[in-house]
Amino acid sequence: MRIARALMDQILGHARSGYPFEVCGVLLGRNGEGARRVDRVVAAVNRERDSPRVRYEIAPEDLVRIQREGRDEGREILGYYHSHPDHPARPSETDRRIAAEGLSDGVVHVVVGVERGERAAPSAWIFRDRVRAFEPEPLDIE
Amino acid sequence: MAVKVQIPAPLRSLTGGQAEVEVDAADVGGLIEGLDRRHRGLKERLCDADGNLRSYVRVFVNDEDVRFLKEKATPLKTGDTVAIVPAIAGGACAQMS
Repeated sequence: MRIARALMDQILGHARSGYPFEVCGVLLGRNGEGARRVDRVVAAVNRERDSPRVRYEIAPEDLVRIQREGRDEGREILGYYHSHPDHPARPSETDRRIAAEGLSDGVVHVVVGVERGERAAPSAWIFRDRVRAFEPEPLDIE
Repeated sequence: MAVKVQIPAPLRSLTGGQAEVEVDAADVGGLIEGLDRRHRGLKERLCDADGNLRSYVRVFVNDEDVRFLKEKATPLKTGDTVAIVPAIAGGACAQMS
């Protein structure tokens, strides 16, 4: 996955500013030849009510709106991002289980670990139905 | 009733790569059957064994979630746009070892 430094800074800034709660958002781009390239990042509201420190949810109505705005601009949803406050920057079993139940094959997820609201570290993953798991996705920050 | 259906990327292997398809249907249930006739396997991805929409699949008709309308009995009319989106959720709890 390729992404400009300014867009990655937008994701990391969102993760830090939202600490100690999880934040989430959508990655948009033109899914053309070769590597996926994210060229727009849209922050979403974490709609999780009970445990927003360790859970996130993007409301479907927000997702439909973001998808429509992206299509109007010629963009597709390439994936999503969310943060793990004081947890590692890798998918949890909760992330894997929900992705396996849903429509996630080939979808990129950026997971940002945030230590004490300061240091934010991203990693990228791609979900594969054939193994029902996330596989590491090279993250190329341009 | 010809309606446009927006297909999410993870299901496009079943639609020959098409991001949008057009289906004739009178309601959402008929639309799912019509999709499955043209693109075998779509119904299984959208519905459980009882034929109900899977909990992690959301279907919107003109920006309205069918869960808050008449679910699969939600009527359709020519020109409607149907969007299929995944429920996106997760979080750090139950971290993998």
